[in-house]
Amino acid sequence: MDEIEFSSTGSGWGPRSEVLAVGWGNSCETVRWLLPRGLLNSCPAGVASCPASSCPFPSPRSPRLTLLESVLLLGPRPTTGGMEFSELIRTGRAQAKLLRGPEAPPLRGTLCVTGHHLLLSPGPQGTSDLWLLLLRSVDSIEKRVSGDSGTITLRCKDLRVLQLDIEGVEATLDIARSIEGLRLGDAWHFHPPERYYKRVARETNAWRLSEVNEDFSLCLSYPRAVIVPRAVDDDALARCARFRQGGRFPVLSYHHAPSGTVLLRSSQPLTGPQKRRCAEDEELLRAVLAGARPGAPGFILDTRSAQAAKQARVTGGGTEAKAAYPGWKRLHRPLERGRPLQESFVRLVEACGDLEQSMDGWLSQLEACHWLAHVKEALSTACLAARGVEREEACVLVHGAEGTDSTLLVTSLAQLILDPLSRTMTGFQELVEREWIQAGHPFQLRCAHSAFSHACPKHEAPTFLLFLDCVWQLGRQFPLSLEFGEGLLLALFEHAYASPFGTFLCSSEKERCLCEVRTRTHSLWSGLNQPKVRRKLRNPLYVPNPLAIWPSVEPQSLRLWQGLFLRWIRPPEPSQVAWEKVWQRLASKEKTEGCEPTSKPQL
Amino acid sequence: MASAPTSKYNSHSLENESIKRTSRDGVNRDLSEAVPRLPGETRITDKEVIYICPFNGPIKGRVYITNYRLYLRSLETDSALILDVPLGVISRIEKMGGATSRGENSYGLDITCKDMRNLRFALKQEGHSRRDMFEILTRYAFPLAHSLPNIGILNEEKFNVDGWMVYNPVEEYRRQGLPNHHWRITFINKCYELCDTYPALLVVPYRASDDDLRRVATFRSRNRIPVLSWIHPENKTVIVRCSQPLVGMSGKRNKDDEKYLDVIRETNRQISKLTIYDARPNVNAVANKATGGGYESDDAYHNTELFFLDIHNIHVMRESLKKVKDIVYPNVEESHWLSSLESTHWLEHIKLVLTGAIQVADKVSSGKSSVLVHCSDGWDRTAQLTSLAMLMLDSFYRSIEGFEILVQKEWISFGHKFASRIGHGDKNHADADRSPIFLQFIDCVWQMSKQFPTAFEFNERFLITILDHLYSCRFGTFLYNCESAREKQKVTERTVSLWSLINSNKDKYKNPFYTKEINRVLYPVASMRHLELWVNYYIRWNPRIKQQQPNPVEQRYVELLALRDEYIQRLEELQLASSAKLSDPSTSPSGPSQMMPHVHTHF
Repeated sequence: MDEIEFSSTGSGWGPRSEVLAVGWGNSCETVRWLLPRGLLNSCPAGVASCPASSCPFPSPRSPRLTLLESVLLLGPRPTTGGMEFSELIRTGRAQAKLLRGPEAPPLRGTLCVTGHHLLLSPGPQGTSDLWLLLLRSVDSIEKRVSGDSGTITLRCKDLRVLQLDIEGVEATLDIARSIEGLRLGDAWHFHPPERYYKRVARETNAWRLSEVNEDFSLCLSYPRAVIVPRAVDDDALARCARFRQGGRFPVLSYHHAPSGTVLLRSSQPLTGPQKRRCAEDEELLRAVLAGARPGAPGFILDTRSAQAAKQARVTGGGTEAKAAYPGWKRLHRPLERGRPLQESFVRLVEACGDLEQSMDGWLSQLEACHWLAHVKEALSTACLAARGVEREEACVLVHGAEGTDSTLLVTSLAQLILDPLSRTMTGFQELVEREWIQAGHPFQLRCAHSAFSHACPKHEAPTFLLFLDCVWQLGRQFPLSLEFGEGLLLALFEHAYASPFGTFLCSSEKERCLCEVRTRTHSLWSGLNQPKVRRKLRNPLYVPNPLAIWPSVEPQSLRLWQGLFLRWIRPPEPSQVAWEKVWQRLASKEKTEGCEPTSKPQL
Repeated sequence: MASAPTSKYNSHSLENESIKRTSRDGVNRDLSEAVPRLPGETRITDKEVIYICPFNGPIKGRVYITNYRLYLRSLETDSALILDVPLGVISRIEKMGGATSRGENSYGLDITCKDMRNLRFALKQEGHSRRDMFEILTRYAFPLAHSLPNIGILNEEKFNVDGWMVYNPVEEYRRQGLPNHHWRITFINKCYELCDTYPALLVVPYRASDDDLRRVATFRSRNRIPVLSWIHPENKTVIVRCSQPLVGMSGKRNKDDEKYLDVIRETNRQISKLTIYDARPNVNAVANKATGGGYESDDAYHNTELFFLDIHNIHVMRESLKKVKDIVYPNVEESHWLSSLESTHWLEHIKLVLTGAIQVADKVSSGKSSVLVHCSDGWDRTAQLTSLAMLMLDSFYRSIEGFEILVQKEWISFGHKFASRIGHGDKNHADADRSPIFLQFIDCVWQMSKQFPTAFEFNERFLITILDHLYSCRFGTFLYNCESAREKQKVTERTVSLWSLINSNKDKYKNPFYTKEINRVLYPVASMRHLELWVNYYIRWNPRIKQQQPNPVEQRYVELLALRDEYIQRLEELQLASSAKLSDPSTSPSGPSQMMPHVHTHF
């Protein structure tokens, strides 16, 4: 991790430094690994001279460690709602034993609670390193006391279940209360990729970059700039926006250069019971077809059933009337969303964690969760959209109701199927940034809790996780075609739910601007693109594939994503060992070649 | 091997492009001839038929029948379908429809295959057109009933490696460190007089005399006495295999058998008990007493502990596989895939076999106790358990040649009744002796190779090739029921070994990720969560599921290997050229042999 620049913001150790120091470590990496080289030199005097007595560890093993521990404990004091974190910390430390699932050995040592983290320092004779957990990743907490000791069970958003056995009833209760108070804390963040817009401009001039949403007045959930048909002016866009739910008028999602056709996304039109129409909206879609090629057909892919789309009229929504949009044909492919999807996720995690469950019944239990059925539906709908663009050479507009969930699932997956660039490490990160984060997927609401929370789900839904699962299925079916491996998908899952980086914070670009996420936090992408981290996330087998990758969507071809859902249950050994060997081989290959393998697909 | 036309779902991937490039091995492909023919293969007839493809509908084609295969080439220009089915694969031929039956394509032949597919041909209704095809197929597919020689005997293929030399029992036992102070090699069964289904060469306790062996044989079903299969190189515990004791209803005892087991126990001084694993469910073992069999009771056999492993008999396995075929061929069950898969119980049986083998391996390796394994006759479940346990314990068997030796030793030489279980050349398709026991073993090996992707030198194609030729009868390897029968038929002189085919083109069957590790014991996870249906085998005929075949990773590996060979060759040429130029001998030692390991890292 010596590549990470350990920047302190002049005024001392702000939250930014803490984020960097912990960096990648929210999945219990060790501190030794995190310790930046040269920390001693660049450390501000205030912390370096911290008195040894304030150090919570009985017998520090090295001055370096003490120093980092001090940074972690004393440094971060950001405020949430005017309340100091320190007020939430009921007790500093306790003696504890940590159980990390059936496969890992228990850890014993001193437990500490800081503003952001839970730390466990092994005793002086301890051989292992400091263990830490980002408090924000705790999904639910359960405490039990018996006699003069207590047990806290932490269920994390990344589906880990941890058990802390703590000496002393008071200490247990205090630590539990501290964690409960602190895990609500939040920090902020971002990174801008307007590169895609440039790429489209190189391929065609039928589209333009419009800054009509500069002040987010047209659409709260769109970014400042969007790509729209050149033939449509900003005034017309403003009127379109009023005709679409949440102002999400049709914008370009992907331009398929070989056929010259496009993938668009929007929200539902506000036709309402009176079947209202909007001339500008109709004109916009007409312009899309005209801009593609003469006579190009258009498909509107509604991610709701025909029935549900019709019903939406009662509440002011609806779907495009055939007569109003000549050349456009409507298709309905209902995708599950919202609460049923969340429930499916919860059931699946329950089934996976149920270790006592006898052998018979696992498969039917897995089926009853319907998770794989959702994967199948998502992938086949994306195939349909991609086929429309590639085989039928048609323009495809995707929308559901709000256009912020299943719509994005379909457009982003269709791009992975069609676009070789989106299968590269950089391309995929840009895809996530552009089609999920900037496209206004409400991460803040959808990923507030993961599968363990006892709170009644309101807006939670694992749409993004479903997307990652589908990408994993693609990677399994085309092992050479994705430049990134399972590691990146796991990292995105973890960070979407709880992250020391700001990338997944807030629900839209507007909120991110208001919260100054960009200046106050660090971008996950810069964390992931550290050379050492990046190499671990790469797929060593990658060979650029210029063709479309059409996945098989039969249930026999889809698998449970064991790496995620059984991650903390299965013995990690075989597959991890296998990948490490592959990496080793790769490393020696790079050494002999003296360069990074080429990652640019030839188009 | 059918190569169906690419479906709409899985074309256009780089991975699939490579299919066309693979060539059929060992087969003379004369371009002027319509059918590939093996040396010794003769053409019998050909006929125009309509192949009713379950995936793409009726296809007009010409079928060629030789004494080895049924070969169909489509006559339609837009479909390049080719079917290449060895006659040995055929289990049943039925006439479908009659001369007067109506409806298109209702008159013809329906062929049931042993490898999870059925073939249906429609013929013209006039003039008994199917009669001669039916008769020829019946005659050559079931030579047993027509006193015709098996095709394996007519095969005149030549390979540069002789597969019959792979397994030499003396050498294999010497590799295991035998004979030693406690175990001796005996030729008592040289003429198969002691036990006609055992090999000629056996390893028995040093302290048991040949007379003892003869007396023990009277008390074991079919005289299959306990003999050594494998010895642990360090702790010297052994895996011993045999058949059930002939206890019967009256609870007979045999002093010699009891003493013999005690002698086996005493070869290992570390543990005071000998562990007996009876592969059957407890009730079946008890029920076997009625037919004269049974199990070792506590009061007769002191110093032993007996466990039942609950693996069901050949009839249960046959029915289970039948159910698998029902849900995968021709149409795969889509709506309730997982629960229908569960209802076949196939994976459950796999799990039980693996669990049993894990217990055997663990007892020997960690429990430091010698183990005796039997079922009823000791040639089905016993072979599965001993061979899988040996695969877990001994990394030698995980190499290509090691695995061939394992199959040759534990299955072929110890009398797994291949001829009866597969029904080679036999038309009695409903024979209750048929059962997919060996297939189940290969499936278990595949499950292990999935969980330990770097532990096996061979790839999936190796396993599928073994299974294909298990049925094809092209090689003598799996012909007949036991060694004595094979010797009588002079199989090694009159037929070619499957290992000749494989070992003469080993690269094709190599796992690119193989990392040789000595002394690593593999314990696969035999939980339902970690087992999956071997889709690439059981559903390989379905073009919608059959994607990614051949495995793109292996395909790429083969390409890279070819590239490496090319470079090595060029390097040698250059070195030759330069050494010719520079006649200074001091610069020449950096020959190609030293460059090899360096080049090798570019797997």
